[in-house]
Amino acid sequence: MSDWITITIDGQEIKAKNGELLTAAAARAGIDIPVFCSHPKLDPLGACRMCLVEQEGPRGKALVTACTTPVRDGAIFHYESEKAIDARQGTMELILINHPLDCPICDKGGECPLQNQALEHGTGKSHFWEEKRHKAKGYPLSDLVMLDQERCILCWRCIRYLQEWEDKPQLGLFHRGGETVVDKFPEGELDAYTSGSIIDICPVGALTNRLSRFSYRPWDIDRTPSICTHCAQGCNLIIDSRNNEVRRHVSRENMAVNDEWICDKGRFATGITKHPDRLQEPLARIDGKLQPVSWQEALQRVVTGLKTIVQRDGPDAVGALGSAKLSNEANYLLGKFMRGMVGTNNIDFREGAALLADPRGVPALADVREADLIVLMGSDPSEEMPVLANLIKRAAKRNGARLIIIHPRRIELAKYADVFLNPTPAEEVALFDALTRATMQARMEAGDEEIPDWLRETEEVESASVEALALAARLTMQAKNPFIVYGADYAWGFGARDIVGALTNWLITAGCEERLGFLHNQANAQGAGDMGILPDYLPGRSPISDRKARSAIETLWQTTLPTQPGLSYGGMIASARGRIKALYIMGSDPVGEKPADADSMKALEFLVVQDVFLTKTAQMADVVLPAASYIESAGTFTNTERRVQRAPQAVRPVGKSVADWAILMHLALRYDPAASAAWKTATISEVFAEIAQVAPMYADMSWENLGEQGQQWDREALPMGKRMHAYSGGSATPTDKRYPYRLVVSSLLWDGGTTFSATSEMAHLASRSARLHPHDAADLGLASGDLVEVLSVAGSIKLPLRVDDSIKPGTVFVPFSLPEAPVGTLFDSQGPRTNVAVLKAAS
Amino acid sequence: MLSDSARSEIQNLMAQYPRARSAILPALYVAQQEIGWLPDEAMDEIALLFGMEPAEVYAIAGFYNMFYKEPKGKFHLEICTNVPCMLRGSGNIADYLQERLGIGFGETTADGNFSLDHMECLGSCATGPVVFARRSQSAWGRYFENLTPGQVDVMLDELLLEDALPGEQTPARPYHHDHHPETNYLLARIDKPHSHKIETYLADGGYETARKALAMEPAEVIETVKKAGVRGRGGAGFPAGVKWGFIPKDIYPRYLVVNADESEPGTFKDRLILEFDPHQLLEGIICTSWAIQAHYAFVYVRGEYMFAQERMKTAIAEAKAKGFLGKGIFGSDFDLEVIIHSGAGAYICGEETALLSSLEGYRGHPRLKPPFPAVAGLYAKPTIVNNVETISHVRHVMEHGADWYRQWGTERSPGLQLISLSGQVKKPGVYEIPYGMTFRELIYDYAGGTVDDRPIKSIIPGGLSMPQILPDALDVGIDFESIVGAGSMLGSGGVIVICEGESIIPIARRAMSFYVEESCGKCTPCREGGSWMEKILKRIEAGEGTLEDLETMARVTKYIDQQSFCPFGPASVWGLQSTLRLFGDEYKDFILETNPNGHKPDIPVRPIYRADSGELHENLLDDATLAPLVP
Ligand SMILES: Cc1cc2nc3c(=O)[nH]c(=O)nc-3n(C[C@H](O)[C@H](O)[C@H](O)COP(=O)(O)O)c2cc1C
Ligand code: SF4
Ligand code: SF4
Ligand code: FES
Repeated sequence: MSDWITITIDGQEIKAKNGELLTAAAARAGIDIPVFCSHPKLDPLGACRMCLVEQEGPRGKALVTACTTPVRDGAIFHYESEKAIDARQGTMELILINHPLDCPICDKGGECPLQNQALEHGTGKSHFWEEKRHKAKGYPLSDLVMLDQERCILCWRCIRYLQEWEDKPQLGLFHRGGETVVDKFPEGELDAYTSGSIIDICPVGALTNRLSRFSYRPWDIDRTPSICTHCAQGCNLIIDSRNNEVRRHVSRENMAVNDEWICDKGRFATGITKHPDRLQEPLARIDGKLQPVSWQEALQRVVTGLKTIVQRDGPDAVGALGSAKLSNEANYLLGKFMRGMVGTNNIDFREGAALLADPRGVPALADVREADLIVLMGSDPSEEMPVLANLIKRAAKRNGARLIIIHPRRIELAKYADVFLNPTPAEEVALFDALTRATMQARMEAGDEEIPDWLRETEEVESASVEALALAARLTMQAKNPFIVYGADYAWGFGARDIVGALTNWLITAGCEERLGFLHNQANAQGAGDMGILPDYLPGRSPISDRKARSAIETLWQTTLPTQPGLSYGGMIASARGRIKALYIMGSDPVGEKPADADSMKALEFLVVQDVFLTKTAQMADVVLPAASYIESAGTFTNTERRVQRAPQAVRPVGKSVADWAILMHLALRYDPAASAAWKTATISEVFAEIAQVAPMYADMSWENLGEQGQQWDREALPMGKRMHAYSGGSATPTDKRYPYRLVVSSLLWDGGTTFSATSEMAHLASRSARLHPHDAADLGLASGDLVEVLSVAGSIKLPLRVDDSIKPGTVFVPFSLPEAPVGTLFDSQGPRTNVAVLKAAS
Repeated sequence: MLSDSARSEIQNLMAQYPRARSAILPALYVAQQEIGWLPDEAMDEIALLFGMEPAEVYAIAGFYNMFYKEPKGKFHLEICTNVPCMLRGSGNIADYLQERLGIGFGETTADGNFSLDHMECLGSCATGPVVFARRSQSAWGRYFENLTPGQVDVMLDELLLEDALPGEQTPARPYHHDHHPETNYLLARIDKPHSHKIETYLADGGYETARKALAMEPAEVIETVKKAGVRGRGGAGFPAGVKWGFIPKDIYPRYLVVNADESEPGTFKDRLILEFDPHQLLEGIICTSWAIQAHYAFVYVRGEYMFAQERMKTAIAEAKAKGFLGKGIFGSDFDLEVIIHSGAGAYICGEETALLSSLEGYRGHPRLKPPFPAVAGLYAKPTIVNNVETISHVRHVMEHGADWYRQWGTERSPGLQLISLSGQVKKPGVYEIPYGMTFRELIYDYAGGTVDDRPIKSIIPGGLSMPQILPDALDVGIDFESIVGAGSMLGSGGVIVICEGESIIPIARRAMSFYVEESCGKCTPCREGGSWMEKILKRIEAGEGTLEDLETMARVTKYIDQQSFCPFGPASVWGLQSTLRLFGDEYKDFILETNPNGHKPDIPVRPIYRADSGELHENLLDDATLAPLVP
């Protein structure tokens, strides 16, 4: 502990880290020096002058700001001296003279640092007799954030946050002196994806949550430490509710996951619990129409419907779809029910068997912080995981991390990249092979003799010059601490297997394949897989062929398990006109994603949908079971770095809806009352305890010991030796003159997904468009705003065009989950990597 | 909305700097010269050119007074009303201008010809009253000095003669610096015709010193300046050679930044050098750049000094043509580029770290020290910031040697200095005097005494920011140490003389208004406290002061003095504090006379945010609103 030193505050000796700021050192010793501008996550500024203390120096005592003073061994400070107290009272008085003191109507009142410190460090009296300065009050910076310039104390936290974490200085100080205000550009909008963070860190009520303001008082809320389930990062947050209504989400620190930030989707898109269209009670198709029924009746109908088919056509005539949006417990019990009671392995979820994800996700999200190299392949964190994107920007800007990006679009992070490669879909394999060769050459130059001659030459490809390839090769070879991920763009659809193989080859050659991970998009895609929602894997990710694993589960479940692999998500839907007679769909809407699948659903004899809304699929169901959203029920979620985190129940379920896991438990008890001994899981912690018994990597976990920061399962628990993939030369969707464009599909933050559009105040933010490069648009005689038809062999959708120069010529970008324009319509049998044509559409 | 030529001009400017962002102020000037003001659309375009967020450009433009957020009249006239000009009667001229034009400050004439504003010190304190006139949609601007009502008429007429705009600014030079020619070095040439031309300078042996310095080891140059004891003339008096020695070894590039922001009211000496002897400054720059091994020297000239900027640019071109600047100067392999960078109306940008922020293309807010600029300054590289006069002295020290320099002045303040003398004296101007000479000699011998031989009431010895001293200090020497002994500081060497008969309250109020106008707004005490003090002083001036106000001002100025982020805060209240101390009775008498019953103002909000349990309010029911409703 050589860098521990001793300093003195008010005569008390305390240990401190050499060079840390006095505010931090004092806080460790329990001395809470008041601050406004200073914030542990922001660079020191020293503007507000609240944190004054006296320091002894060669020329006597002097006032210094604790927030900018690094401590050195032997330094002596006085915090409670008369002079220091007077100084802080002086600053407090000055901060308050022009503050409107509208605490009674201010959202911050009750949790306001200014209020609290005025009580603790103010004199309680103002000598200010003049008229206060007037500035703009209550005016919107965006659809989400309100600003009250009179309340602002000009601490610059919001400005610094946007600068230091977002690298988007969209707020600034305008004018100067006493006229200074915080503002945005008049024509501009505050649209950084984590803009809401500034509400949390504003030390006064100057920045407020436009959707939630005036709906709560901080001392009259119930606070539930939870997580966000909009994406697979699993950011930690607090759900604040009152009278069983969600009032707001605020961020919660978890250094392993989200630092102290959440994105605006996680913060503001909270409408799901209040949406008028939420399913309130069970429905059953009676006389051809869905009609309300009791839970008793609904469950009985499910039992009868499934049993009839199992008895007649065998268990493999039944299938189930789980969901990457739902908890481990919900998915686990669905799997247990299908495998253990119905007796089939027909079980999958959308991001399951079809997605060539590394079953261990990414090594660790926090690796980004210390990474010397970051490689992103087919993943766009800015849109898919904004908080991670900010960590990446910071690593690049502050730590000098090098950045290699390979993506079909010029994504936002490309501007930080040392190497940005932009292969057209179908050219990825050639690119990764070229990278492999370049790396081989670099290895050879570094003295590796074993490289075969024919691999020693770097060859340029369409999307990369020899120099770019060589730089990328050098960076990956030299990296000591790389963070390397690929995403869904390269892991799903025609040819994905070859792409993943080729990129793995490159990284093996560079010697960093162990660091390669998969960045999931959906909150619990990792967990659903861990729970065995896969046609050929058991909970705990053992293959169903693993006899030992199987028999352990059989003992626990008191049943025998089917041994033949089941059908995949796509397979089940495709077989709905044949082998599959009944589907149990939980938290998934295949018809909404691909309307053409309605025909398959129609062909089913029996369809059960368990969901929060009456989705397109649910509208076709025989029985609809209303589920509680994750906020209204408890559960655990496993994020993309295998961190298992708790999301306790925050408010009461809507209407008669019930938690997914509980629905399944009740169903099972009715399906086979004799098996009730194996279904004694009446609480979430009991379900989780059973998971811990079944899935070895969850073995040491319990609901209680997950704590508020979650627990990560050990990556080594699932060894995955990566091997060179056979050299394929690549296979791409064959070109077809009728469909000259390559389709590029990925998620945007503001999409039209159910959970997002449930927040009506935000629904209009969704960018509903297909995007083309300006040249292609010009060739087609199209302009932004034109209605276009995008069509493929599988189908067609209509939506407005947006001309966008970040789109690669020859490609069309269509985001996922657009209302009324489900891009899934265009997918071929293997998924999104298909070819399309673009035509001007008649409106 | 910007023309192609404006865009390409901006691109050229961006290429001129080591980092393109530094060209943001120049770019805003280009846009304003084309459009006449800065519409949001123009800022949006500039943001795009620089790859910045529009909010950043907007924030920058809003910081600097010389950028307009709305259209102005064809001519924008700004009259200095700061203390030195006030003492020379600028109030009358301001009234006359408003009357002639039929508009008030902040307004534009109905025909759109003139906009009028009051202005802070323009560095014309000995030649005031002064108007700074700028023509919309052009780069044209100049000073009109020594204004009388008659001259105002002439000025307005001249301006309206479209095609015959008064051309080059040739200020009347009432600078009585020739009194003691034996101490004229910095000012030796300025009375000569064409004093600013390189031929004139070369005829006097110009640039020989630079040649000589280049033949020396850089360390030797630093040593000579250290030995001479040249102290900084920007305000703090820090020894230049010592500062240069702080540059960390082996860190390159390094930069020299010459502080020509001269905005301290009562200071106008740098302007004289810039306008009338730019080559001696350039030669000083060459010596200094060689000493610290910098290949870029920036001269940050305040935006209003347009004429000085022109003269400097011409001088640089002349020197370049001779091979004294640019690549391989004087045939050596040493490269040196000198760039004139225009400020845009912000006094705080004279503070060295704020200046660097500004030069890097940000709002001019001061930065945390340490790191000091010598360690991490411009672009976080070692940077020496020195005042124009400091660098000019370096040139003479390098010519004549340290001992020559030390023959003048005192042990701790050696050498000669430029004093800007203004206020109520017969011959205001810039004087080159040895340190240690007394105020009496300066005022009565050099400057011929006070106007109408009135007795002196008070002296501001070092620019408006310094505490006032009483005439009993007339025999104090003008050097750093002696003035501290007298309770003030030498600062920038701007001596302002105030005579009996002047009321101290309007002077204190006008001074405070300056600091309120110029506060950067970063820290609480200065931002909030300054405008509070101004409000109180205005109230006292309006006859609504109370004795409690004096206590409040004494208390709050202490906070501003001791708790501000940068030296601006203290500098903004030292003057006020000194008047409260020295002229307390005058304040009291005035208050008792104008508000004998001690009425307190009606305040819209008077928060007592914590119940004050110590004090019993017996007479609360006197308040009509609390009186019981009697049937
Ligand atoms: C508010 C403020 C304004 C200043 N204005 C100027 C100025 O206009 N010119 C100047 O040379 N120095 C000015 N200074 C001093 C500079 O910060 C810096 O000390 C000086 O330029 C260093 O040069 P020198 O050592 O040669 O004096 C100012 C300082 C403060 C605090
Ligand atoms: S809005 Fe809030 S965070 Fe931003 S400067 Fe003002 S007080 Fe600080
Ligand atoms: S004292 Fe504070 S507000 Fe005033 S100029 Fe300095 S930093 Fe800005
Ligand atoms: S908290 Fe230290 S100056 Fe603001």
